[in-house]
Order: sequence, then structure tokens, then C-alpha cells
Amino acid sequence: MSSVRQQIGLDVGALKARDTEDVIVGKEIIRHRLSSRVIHWLVADFFFLCAATGLPVFSPVFGWLGNLFGGLAVCRVIHPFAGLAFFASAAAMFLHWKREMQMTAQERGWVGPKLLEYLRDKANHDQIGKYNGGQKVFFYTAALAALGFLVSGVVLWFPLTFAGFLRQLAILVHNVTFIAFFVSIVFHIYLGTTAEPGTFNAMTRGTVSKAWARIHHPKWYRELMGTDK
Amino acid sequence: MSVQSLEIVRSSASTWGGLTGVRSLPVLSKYIDSSSCIGCKACEVACQEWNDLPVVKTSQVGTYQTLPELDASYWNLIRFEEREHENGFSWLMRKDQCMHCGDPGCLKACPAPGAIVQYANGIVDVNADQCIGCGYCATGCPFNIPKFHEKTAKMQKCTLCVDRTRLGLEPACVKSCPTGCLHFGTKEDMLVLASQRVGQLKKNGFAEAALYDPPGVGGTSVITVLAFGNHPEWYGLPKDPSIPWTIKLWKNVLRPFGFIAIVGAIVGAFGHHLYYGNKGHIDPAPLDDEPPQA
Ligand code: HEM
Ligand code: SF4
Ligand code: SF4
Repeated sequence: MSSVRQQIGLDVGALKARDTEDVIVGKEIIRHRLSSRVIHWLVADFFFLCAATGLPVFSPVFGWLGNLFGGLAVCRVIHPFAGLAFFASAAAMFLHWKREMQMTAQERGWVGPKLLEYLRDKANHDQIGKYNGGQKVFFYTAALAALGFLVSGVVLWFPLTFAGFLRQLAILVHNVTFIAFFVSIVFHIYLGTTAEPGTFNAMTRGTVSKAWARIHHPKWYRELMGTDK
Repeated sequence: MSVQSLEIVRSSASTWGGLTGVRSLPVLSKYIDSSSCIGCKACEVACQEWNDLPVVKTSQVGTYQTLPELDASYWNLIRFEEREHENGFSWLMRKDQCMHCGDPGCLKACPAPGAIVQYANGIVDVNADQCIGCGYCATGCPFNIPKFHEKTAKMQKCTLCVDRTRLGLEPACVKSCPTGCLHFGTKEDMLVLASQRVGQLKKNGFAEAALYDPPGVGGTSVITVLAFGNHPEWYGLPKDPSIPWTIKLWKNVLRPFGFIAIVGAIVGAFGHHLYYGNKGHIDPAPLDDEPPQA
């Protein structure tokens, strides 16, 4: 069956990636099944919608972004709803991945020096499984940010209900969350694209090459190949 | 509005192009002598009439005060306070309205370009067509003035009768006041009148009489003489108002820091790539899919 499909050009890897992951198909490994990818891109799209409608409020320098949606007044209407959608998809993402993202004791070091080691290409990758410590740290950063955005955003949404110091605090929380998370996102995008060729494919087609897996996630690779001791 | 745009010296959320400041004008001021206010509310009525504001349902708050708070359609409220003190007991009346701050917190906090402007004559005005109803101005105002229209969510407040004062008329409230407790003119002149009144009050036994023109917000264009000047809080006024530190932190520190952090991250990512190249190419093993020999 599958050989016929291959002959007529059916993409077995992509088809299998609809509902399975962590399996080897020929020279490829399926890294993210379809549901994982859909959730990821929902979060990403709603994040960008939030950013595009929030940035003109952050500074008039980004007013042109607001104009794409019909002006600042429209952004003010869209943004909180986009925010709710962002939170909902981020919550789904959290539930979807939380088991795989449990951190081991050594991985806690990724919050500090290990992350720099990794960025300086000095890290020893040998024990890295499907996700490295940095990815896990980013996963929790996203969860925390979604929560911070939601709580402060709802306060900002209803100026008549919430007033006084609570609102001042909400402005600060929303702003700090935004800056911190946006900086993380820049690195997330960089590491997921140009920094490590082959990575972007994992979130689009769902697959990576065996070589990619062996270089970046050797323990995961060994587990799948059955060579892990 | 188009003529007045020549007089804009500050404009909310404007990078460049928002300010003209072509004309320089003397700073105008409304001087309120709270000690000679009899609480007749003529000014409240005059304000509603001149600005053509709809009727706002009054509510009985147990004092001689029309409403508990200012309203989007009620920009001028005589606050009433019954106060016991060592020399007996006083009814304190104070005209509550936008103070037209020299350094307006509402304007600083507002994210909508040109929604709040300050003219060369000191008046702080709202352009409802630019307002997005986000409520940030209320968060930035130390006097709790901005109020929002129920349906449109637009911010509305006292304009210092910008449409009268432009033509050399005094504000409607000043025109209507029967006791002469309201005056209008250049701030210079009003400061002279006010300090004369403070002197008079001191002679009459109000040793703590003072003028309320708080320097923390750059002075205000609405200045008030208080018989108990050491207790502005008796009149519902903050003792030493300034723009909330949170708003200053947000606009003066976090926002520039945010720009630097975000641009820095992007430049850093590019720099990293230039310096380290593609991650993975440091792996000495050949890039085929065979497992390395154990
Ligand atoms: C999770 C639910 C969220 C809610 C309910 C929410 C709500 C709000 C509200 C009501 C405002 C006030 C101004 C406006 O309405 O435009 C605001 C501002 C803002 N939001 Fe959100 N938001 C949420 C998520 C996000 C996310 C995910 C981002 C990420 C890009 C974001 C970025 C911003 C920015 C940059 C501002 C401008 C304020 C500043 O300068 O600090 N928001 N948000
Ligand atoms: S009193 Fe409030 S609303 Fe009026 S100018 Fe000052 S900060 Fe703005
Ligand atoms: S409610 Fe209107 S005037 Fe107030 S800060 Fe928002 S846009 Fe500016």
C-alpha cells in the first residue's frame, strides 16, 4: 500500500504526522502531530493579533499597525477579545504539553548559566531528550505570561469596574509581561528558524530529519532508534 | 478647533507633528475662593446650560451636594463637607472640576494621539473624536476628574469653557456666581487676588488659610483659596498631588526600556547568528542518518 503511495507521490511522513508523533518514517522522524501544530499556531497567531492591536497603545510609533485594523478605536475593541483567544489557546497548549514538559532537577539550571552555555554552543547535548531545558523554561514562561496578560488585561478592559491603584498596577503588570515575553518570543522565533535549520519544519510539516534529531535531541533520538542504554 | 490647533503645546501620545505652539498666550486661570461660596449651585446650572449637557439624575447623599461624584455630563460639582474643628464647626464648600494641571497626568497616560491637548493658555481639553474610551486618563489624573459617557465611553470633563474664553469671555460658572467667589483672568492677576484674600482670611482668624496651587502637578489653572489650607483633605483635595509614580514608571522608564529590550533582542539574535552561525554545524559527526558507532 504505502509503496504505491510513495510511487504516486503521496507524502507518507506528512500523512502519518496527522495523528502520530515520536515515530520514524524512512529518513524522517515525526516530531509534532497535527493537533500539536494547530495549537501552536493558534497561540502564535493570537499572540501576533494581540501584539499588533496592543502595540499602538504601547506607543504611537506603532500607530501604523493600528491603522491596519481600522484605527486605534478598533484595536481597543479587538485587542481584549484577541487576548481572551490567546489565553484560551495558551491554556490548551499548557494542558497539551504539560506532561512532556516536566522539568528534571538538572534542567532547572537552564534558567541561568546553562542557557548561556547553550547559546554559546558550549553545552553538552548528550542527555537532551525531546525537549531541552530552554524549551521547557520557555514553555512555562508562556504559561505565566498568558496568566499575567489575562489578569491585568481584564482589569484594563473595564475601566469603570476597576479603578485606582489596581488599574495602575495592571498597567505595570501588562507592560512588564509584554516586554519580557516579547523578548523571549524574539529568541524563540530565532532559535526555531535560522539558528537551527530544520527546526521550523517540525512545526509546519511536523517532521525532522534523523540527523537533526541526533544533533539537537540525542537522547530522544536514541530512544526512538532503540539504542538508548 | 482648527484655529486653536495653533496653540497646542502638549498633545497626548504624539511623537512629532502633534504640537504647534505657534502662538504664545498668557496662562489663564480661574480663581475660586471656597470661603465665600454659599453653595447655591448657580455655577452648576450655568455649566449644564452653557455646555448643553443633559439632565443628570440627582441623588440624595445626605448633604447639600447634588451628586456623589462628577459625571460625564456633570463637570462642575460643589462639594459639601461638615467639619468640626477647635474653633467650632464649618460647612466647607469646594467647587470640584478639572484643575487644568500644568503637567496633566491625564494627558501623559492617554494613548490616543491628540485625544487630550494642552493649549498655550493652560487649558487642558479633550478631543472626543480621538478618544478611544480606554480610561487611562482617569488612572493618570491625581484628582479623579475624567468620567466616561455611558454609551460612547468617551471621556468628558470641564473644558474651562474653551469656547468662551477663546473669545475673551469668562467661563459660564464665573459669570453666574452671585457672591464673587469665582474670578477669571490671567494666572498672574489671579495669584494677586488670591493672595490678598489669603491675607484677609488670616486677619479674620483663619491662621492656616492658604492657596491651593499644587507644585507637584506643575501648578494648576484652577486655583482655590482654602480657609483651612493645612487640611486640603477636608475639601476632598489630595495634600501633595502629583502624577502617580506608576504612570511615570510606565511612560518614562518601562516604555524606553521596552524599546531597548526588544530592539536589543532582535539585534542580539542577528549578532548571534553572525558570530556562531547555524547551531549544529559544530557537530563533528557527518550529517547522515546513521547512528554514530557506539
Ligand atoms: C489575555 C488577555 C488580554 C487582555 C484581556 C488584554 C487587554 C488589554 C487592554 C484592555 C488593554 C488596554 C488598551 C487596549 O484595550 O487596547 C491592553 C493593552 C495592551 N496589551 Fe493587552 N490584553 C491581553 C493580552 C495581551 C497579549 C497576549 C499581548 C501581547 C502582545 C498584549 C499586549 C498589550 C500591549 C502592548 C498593550 C499596551 C499597553 C502598554 O503600553 O503597556 N495584551 N490589553
Ligand atoms: S485635573 Fe485631572 S483631568 Fe484635569 S488636567 Fe489635571 S490630570 Fe487632567
Ligand atoms: S479614555 Fe480617551 S481621553 Fe482618556 S486616556 Fe483613553 S483615549 Fe485618552
